[in-house]
Amino acid sequence: MKVFMAAALAAGLAVSAQPVLAQQVKVGALYPFSGGLALLGDESYRGLELAVEERNAAGGVGGKQLVIIKGDAVDPNQAVGEARRLTSVEKVPFIFGSYASSISLAATQVAELAGIPYFELGAISDPITERGFKNVYRTNPTAKDFANKMVDSIIDAIAPALKADAKSLKVAIIHEDSLYGQTVTGFQVARLKEKGLNLVETLPYSAKSVDLTPVILRLKSAGADVVLQTSYQNDTVLFFRQMKEQGLKLKAVMGAGGGYSLTDTMKAVGAENIEGALNVDFTQYKTNPAGAPGIDAFVKKYEAKYGIPPRSGHSLANYMGSRVIFDALATAKDFSSAGVREVMMKIDVPVGKTPTGWGVKLDAKGQNVQASPYIMQWQGGQLVTVFPPGAAVATMKVGVGSN
Amino acid sequence: MDVTVQLILNGIMLGAMYAIIAVGLTLIFGIVRVVNFAHGEFLMIGMYAVYLLTTRLGFHPYATAVPVVILLFALGALVQRFIIQPLLNADEHIQIFATVGLSTALINGALMAFGADLYAVEAPIARQTVPLGPLNILVGHMVIFVAALGLVAGLHLFMQKTALGRAIRATAQNRYAAQLMGVKVETIYVISFGLGAACVGLASALIMPLYPATPTIGTYFVLTAFVVVVLGGMRSMYGAFFGAMIIGIVDSLSGYYIAPDLKEVVYFAIFILILIFKPTGLFGFGRGTE
Amino acid sequence: MTPLRLLSRITEPRVYVSLAALSLLLIVPWLIDSSFAVHIFVTICVFGALSTAWNIVGGYAGQLSLGHTIFYGLGGYTTALLIKHYELTPWLGMWAGALLSVLVALGIGFPSFRLRGPFFSLATIAFLEVIRLLAIHFHGFTGGSAGLIVPLKIGWAWMIFQDKFNYLIIAFGLLVLTLYVAWAIRTSRLGYYLTAVREREDAASAAGIDTTRVKLVAVAISAALTSFIGSFHAMYLTFLEPASMFSLASAIEIAMFALIGGLGTVAGPLLGTLFVVPIAEAARGWLGASANGLHGLVYGTVLVLITLTLPGGLVGTFGKRIAAFVDRLPGARRPDDREAPALRQVTGTSGETVLETRNLVMKFGGLTATDNVSIDLRRGEILGIIGPNGAGKTTVFNQISGFLKPTSGTVAVLGPAGTMVSPRLPDEFARLGIGRTFQIVQPFGKLSVIENIMIGAFMHHHDVEDARQSALRVAHLVGLHRLKDVEARNLPIGDLKRLEVARTLATEPSILLLDEVMAGQNQSDTNRMVEIIRAIRDTGVTVVAIEHNMQAIMSLSDRIVVIDSGKVIAQGDPHVVVRDRKVIEAYLGEDFVHAQGL
Repeated sequence: MKVFMAAALAAGLAVSAQPVLAQQVKVGALYPFSGGLALLGDESYRGLELAVEERNAAGGVGGKQLVIIKGDAVDPNQAVGEARRLTSVEKVPFIFGSYASSISLAATQVAELAGIPYFELGAISDPITERGFKNVYRTNPTAKDFANKMVDSIIDAIAPALKADAKSLKVAIIHEDSLYGQTVTGFQVARLKEKGLNLVETLPYSAKSVDLTPVILRLKSAGADVVLQTSYQNDTVLFFRQMKEQGLKLKAVMGAGGGYSLTDTMKAVGAENIEGALNVDFTQYKTNPAGAPGIDAFVKKYEAKYGIPPRSGHSLANYMGSRVIFDALATAKDFSSAGVREVMMKIDVPVGKTPTGWGVKLDAKGQNVQASPYIMQWQGGQLVTVFPPGAAVATMKVGVGSN
Repeated sequence: MDVTVQLILNGIMLGAMYAIIAVGLTLIFGIVRVVNFAHGEFLMIGMYAVYLLTTRLGFHPYATAVPVVILLFALGALVQRFIIQPLLNADEHIQIFATVGLSTALINGALMAFGADLYAVEAPIARQTVPLGPLNILVGHMVIFVAALGLVAGLHLFMQKTALGRAIRATAQNRYAAQLMGVKVETIYVISFGLGAACVGLASALIMPLYPATPTIGTYFVLTAFVVVVLGGMRSMYGAFFGAMIIGIVDSLSGYYIAPDLKEVVYFAIFILILIFKPTGLFGFGRGTE
Repeated sequence: MTPLRLLSRITEPRVYVSLAALSLLLIVPWLIDSSFAVHIFVTICVFGALSTAWNIVGGYAGQLSLGHTIFYGLGGYTTALLIKHYELTPWLGMWAGALLSVLVALGIGFPSFRLRGPFFSLATIAFLEVIRLLAIHFHGFTGGSAGLIVPLKIGWAWMIFQDKFNYLIIAFGLLVLTLYVAWAIRTSRLGYYLTAVREREDAASAAGIDTTRVKLVAVAISAALTSFIGSFHAMYLTFLEPASMFSLASAIEIAMFALIGGLGTVAGPLLGTLFVVPIAEAARGWLGASANGLHGLVYGTVLVLITLTLPGGLVGTFGKRIAAFVDRLPGARRPDDREAPALRQVTGTSGETVLETRNLVMKFGGLTATDNVSIDLRRGEILGIIGPNGAGKTTVFNQISGFLKPTSGTVAVLGPAGTMVSPRLPDEFARLGIGRTFQIVQPFGKLSVIENIMIGAFMHHHDVEDARQSALRVAHLVGLHRLKDVEARNLPIGDLKRLEVARTLATEPSILLLDEVMAGQNQSDTNRMVEIIRAIRDTGVTVVAIEHNMQAIMSLSDRIVVIDSGKVIAQGDPHVVVRDRKVIEAYLGEDFVHAQGL
């Protein structure tokens, strides 16, 4: 009986939430704050937090202050639970999230059935906005955008820099085999076929691997020129180290964000070894402010609040997305499903006018079609933007590592 | 051809790494008769200790082997004394739960203390490549290989030539008979568990220059180490050593010739087949159905 | 027992209190009326049901599976794929998932059940990893790591609802189903058999239990239930990925709930879930976001502390007190003892050969333990087997009860059709009517005396009450009835010897093999045992006894076989045999024989 009482009590506590103050608007923030995804989940959340503070300082939305209600979602089951808590107990009018695609897929389903708008600011899995949902909006580019950008850059940037015909280059794909790697790779393979490029190997591996030598030897045997890797931090480090050990010489290597974007990766691998590695990702901080107005101000605010420079571009992407959405919400007549949809569909921010440099224009599915990942390159221990030209701060170099 | 030879060489080097971890696991199982599901987390703790000693006190990673081995010995001895010993006569499933619980607690404790970030140490020497004809060997791997040989040889001498070693062997053979002969079995268990954990301490000092530490690093290695221990016949450190070599080579070859994401499937399949059809291990050193 | 019969017992305190407590799982969230509370209770029902289903294998049968999410994942994936490709309603798809799970469970269980303890657990982890990696690798079929999305078709037909309370109704229904199955097994012959197998496989075989078969039945039932829950949960989450459907962490969690609540009990797994899930949810709410990893640390620490302080779990520690309290509540009582069922009659012609061995040779390495042993056993006799220590008497027993397979030679038993047959496995021998005791007693330590005897009685009495009455009758016969509710591990050796006989006798054998049942007994106990054996023989049972107590065996036996160094050196009338020169030599040495001038 005691345990029943405990259960009842715990559930009871959860419902006795504070009465909603008329002068406040609750903002649900659903991210993985604990567990294996916590680091970048928290980094993503900081972008939202900064945007909310900035907005509140400027008078809030429609004269009401924004109050963040956090939800901690570690896996899909908890994402469902937390989304339910936010919508039914906290009664938030909308939810922002989520960094991880599996969490977003589960939580958006709850929001859709509850008729609560869900703003996705960072998860890249395409199906999030392809299920015909009416309450899900996404400001960031998708896995397909990443994959296409990577493949296209072989033709647009790498081949010209190598002074070679793109079709003569042997392209290989290696990827970790979780959701992130498999999703991006699927689109890469399709795009490579579409563009008629020469794909010689597709090698999945577990991100838990302690040895990638067989992968590297396969690349060596296949004579790969260009490698596209979708990876987390651990396997990125392993790949660069073992590539050097096995004397694998590539003409170009390009990552899809993840491990490639982190300064820790560069430190673990060594600046000279990662030199020249390309990276397609959300906008990072060595970006020309002319193409991304507000990026410098964001970094300053971030450092002032958290005492360290931003750990990755996730916070920036979340910051930019929430800012645009708050602007739109300020014009809404109410926060009902239809009211929010009306103002979201009206958003039209041209490319080059936000801190990430992305534009914002949603299609009928709620997906932003004006966002596109940037191409960066490790140069002298810095991840500098090299493409598109408007945002570039350096020109692209050829070759990988010191060999 | 060169590729195959390179893969086999690579597999042997990988095997040496598994061997050091698996020998520790074997010691604990062979003597105390407990399967330590928290073994990988000992490795994780060892690696963080190496990191701290290297970055805070300026040790060379390899030089941390001495303090870390002592530290892990103490940790193992404490775990035996305060968690395993009270459960020695309990049902097997209680022992399994106790070590599984310990493993969960340690992983999350590390997550709290260090976060999910990677911690790496600087040891350029370990990452130097030595060309061997058309082949490449990493200095760090050679160090591990030599250490694995040294560990097995050292433990062999210890078990055969010293009084303590003989007492340990007697206890492993028959706990009650050893007790009758005046051996303090509980002390032997504490020492043996400590030794098993100390092997992992050695492993962490040798692995740290090559792999960064994370809270879940232990699980990467330990499932493989379990496969190795079963392959080697559960109780024999020689079996564990050769088992590790075989798994290392299988890992390396199947990663190349089958598919990198299926190499775990290959050696887990081997593991299941061995457990079921040859529970005494490949070399007939022990019994899995006991 | 059918659900209807359970319903007819609703006036009993234990029944109505359990049902009332269970119904709170529906009533509380209904009162709170928030979809978050509903989610918490759905989670409790799902994990409570998973843990209860796991307990059938992990607790009852003692096979500690750490790969049980295999069946959860298979159920979820099968159902989701059938919706995606064939638009098949999950109500039907879940049956396909359950069928697949049962097949996989049998495929995994059959080879793995020979492994013991941690090796079984390791093998189940390995199977789980293999299945997870294959689900990722064949992404064209399963959707791989990118996941599989269940289309949001709303309504009862698709098990997806706008009103969340409907989910709770289904989850609660699954929980009740699982608890009912677990309860029905626990109180049936299968439940007792599983416990017997968990406690001592050898003694279980001797009691006629096909140990592999009962474990397979248990894992099949458990897998089917787990799979149903997986199917439902997939519909609830609408998103499946290998990492969360085939998760090792969840598999450990399921087992952990059962341990915390009480392994092998009906209510334990649910209570463990009810205890941990709200704490975990609260911890996440208060600490999760600020202290990364804290709640995992708490989980692990609680698990270690539970193993150290409450190895019996909540039910094992507090269960008796609560049950005693509940029993004091008003209500109907169980009707007491009924008539014992009829004894199985031994039929056949007195004096016919009921068992014969021909040239039994048993070699262990270089040692020949039995050497050309040929013995005939005639119906209705008491045959004594004597010989010095290490002569090979018990080895002969092991061969004529199927525990050892002879190196050469044959054992034949008179079968039901009147012809001689040669069984192979211990349980086959047992079912042909050969009951044996063990020289080193093999009680089921955690079962009471009466339950120990029931394990034997189940061979001919499938109904639990019949078996209990039959066991009581045997307990009276051997003088254990006053100790019937004592746990076997608390008995002194003399009583354990009688328990050994009683359990064997309860199988109602036609041939009874007694291995030194008088050793360690005092004079009056010995006399009593002699009386018991005579009484057994008078019911038509043929008895073979190995004994060192010469006085007793001489007075008891109709015929004596003397074995020395694995050979039969003499057989015949007891009084003739003891004067045989070879026999005296074997017992007392050649010198003694010479000195006596024999």
